[in-house]
Amino acid sequence: MLTLRNVRKSFGRIVAVDDLSLTIKPGEVFGLLGPNGAGKTTTVNMAVGLLRPDQGTVEIQGAGAPDQPRVRGRIGVAPQALALYDELTGEENLAFFGKLQGLTGRLLADRVQWALEFVALTDRRRDRVSTYSGGMKRRLNIAVAMIHAPSLLLLDEPTVGVDPQSRNAIFENILALKGKGHTIVYTTHYMEEAQRLCDRVGIMDHGRLLALDTVEGLITAHGGKSVLFLEREDGERRIETDDPLRELVGLPNNGALRRFRLERPNLERVFLHLTGRELRDA
Amino acid sequence: MKAILALATKDLRLLLRDRVGFFFTFFFPLLYAVFFGAIFSAQGRGASALNVVVVDEDQTDASKAFVAELNDSPELEVSTASREEAVNLVRRGRRVGYIVLPPGFGQARGRVFGGESVKLETGMDPSRMAEAGLLQGVLTRHMYRGIQDAFSNPSVMRKQLSESLADVQASADMDPAWRTTLQWFLPVMDRFLAELPSGEGMGRAFQPFEIESKDVQVRRGGPQNSYEISFPQGVIWGVMACSAGFGISLVVERTRGTLVRLRIAPIGRMHILGGKAIACLLTTMGVPALLLALGVVAFGIRPDSWALVFVAVASMGLCFVGIMMMLSVMGKTEQAAGGIGWAVLTVMAMIGGGMIPLFVMPPWMQTISHASPVKWSILALEGAIWRNFSASEMLLPCAILVATGLTTFFVGTRAFRWAQE
Repeated sequence: MLTLRNVRKSFGRIVAVDDLSLTIKPGEVFGLLGPNGAGKTTTVNMAVGLLRPDQGTVEIQGAGAPDQPRVRGRIGVAPQALALYDELTGEENLAFFGKLQGLTGRLLADRVQWALEFVALTDRRRDRVSTYSGGMKRRLNIAVAMIHAPSLLLLDEPTVGVDPQSRNAIFENILALKGKGHTIVYTTHYMEEAQRLCDRVGIMDHGRLLALDTVEGLITAHGGKSVLFLEREDGERRIETDDPLRELVGLPNNGALRRFRLERPNLERVFLHLTGRELRDA
Repeated sequence: MKAILALATKDLRLLLRDRVGFFFTFFFPLLYAVFFGAIFSAQGRGASALNVVVVDEDQTDASKAFVAELNDSPELEVSTASREEAVNLVRRGRRVGYIVLPPGFGQARGRVFGGESVKLETGMDPSRMAEAGLLQGVLTRHMYRGIQDAFSNPSVMRKQLSESLADVQASADMDPAWRTTLQWFLPVMDRFLAELPSGEGMGRAFQPFEIESKDVQVRRGGPQNSYEISFPQGVIWGVMACSAGFGISLVVERTRGTLVRLRIAPIGRMHILGGKAIACLLTTMGVPALLLALGVVAFGIRPDSWALVFVAVASMGLCFVGIMMMLSVMGKTEQAAGGIGWAVLTVMAMIGGGMIPLFVMPPWMQTISHASPVKWSILALEGAIWRNFSASEMLLPCAILVATGLTTFFVGTRAFRWAQE
């Protein structure tokens, strides 16, 4: 669906993306993870045609490079910053961006109606966006990206700053789109979101793709062993194991175990393992 | 084209929903035009007579008559006071100036030949020096009238001649040739006056011309009323507000992220700027149209040529669309763009006659005003409304406006930052 081949982009002496190759398959939800300054936003911007790579190519399957306006019509983007007009109503925002996508008449009206229902904003369709809550704005942001039914949807941290209910609603929206066969590229800082939603995940740092696989594959390859924490009368023990159940069963039955805790490897551990634990303020 | 129209419609809708922006785009210019039109109108009716104070140190019948004459003058509003009070009144700004009639004024006023001349002392508020010439002219007219009256009354004139002859004979330091001439002329003059039929004077002979002042009400070559002067200035403020508003809105699109979404849409960059330009052009033409329509309906504005009004408004609109584009590149944030933009526009208005009419500016300022699009905008509007410009006369201001618009639009689009840094 989307292919980046040996893509490089630098800003002055800073190399933002370095020899990145990546293929997003049709119908998958692809998670792009990385710490601040890893090159995720630059990658997304090149994918949607906002930036032109210094080297390499970006191609939307069967259409060409996204710096061509007609190709961009196949892409929908929900930027991290809410790209909405506060003084227009939700309906007017959708209609306006729909017109820019070439929708008119009955088709435009139907798509606006669908988008409002999809993000559960039909009741507030005639209210100005300035009166919406943060979660409502985030949902509308996604609806605008979906107004022209794009085959490729890029969601840049779509759940930043929203309450749990809106977050859950956004998850359901994404899963619904996935169910309809849309291809989705999802960038986020929240590992549990990627773990829950994404078919495959790429982890970037310093402009390079460090790992790319399914969530299970990444955890298997980079997550390490499960950790079993045991609290006994004679103190605490920490056991790294591939089979925590066998470890528990094999414990001497002398009544000395007070409680235990199991920490399975997860995407966060993979992330920290690959990108390190130092702070990134860039 | 549909995308451009969608962009333009969106911007117009946003403008209408921005109450503050709408106020400064439409109501402020209207207030400006009506306010200054009313002021100029009041001045035209003589409401601004010079408020002066007279110090009569002569205290003769003649000096009192002179004060009364001044008081009857339509150009002056006269009160009397002591010298100290008069100076204080002017210093405190309560009076425009003072006039001192010195001792001997009454005796000297009607004297034609010989004797000591009388010196009228005037003092003016330094901030009102422009009116000093007017006061001097009024005083000269009234002094001349004293001489004219003397010539109109033979008995008074003969008495003056007798006194003048005595002064000549008594004067020790007079030029002998001048003394000889006067000693010959004054008696001849006296005999001439003595032989005039009773009741006839020479006043008419000493009044070579009369000035009759009329308000010009003809349509050609002048404004019908003060609103025809103030409305073009008000229009310019509306147009500048449109230009600044749309320039800032481009910056807002960038800082708030909507520009990213526009760029991702399947349209070109020129579509985006074209939509903004069309919305700005429609507004910069719509605001003048609305204001002038109100001017016609409620304030008696009668343009010489509606066709030329359209040409002027269109040229002005194109010019300020280009300026809008330039304003949008002047700041990275909306605050910076707004501050810098309004500073630039205010300077343009200051030197271009958008705040005070050009004709009251000194010559060097009028020369500088050529650099301001505001000057050419007002000239084009005035040319179409009351200066009775021909099409060829409209060409210069309109060509300058269009050229300015195209140049600034081109430079602005080249310099526009598409991404937030």
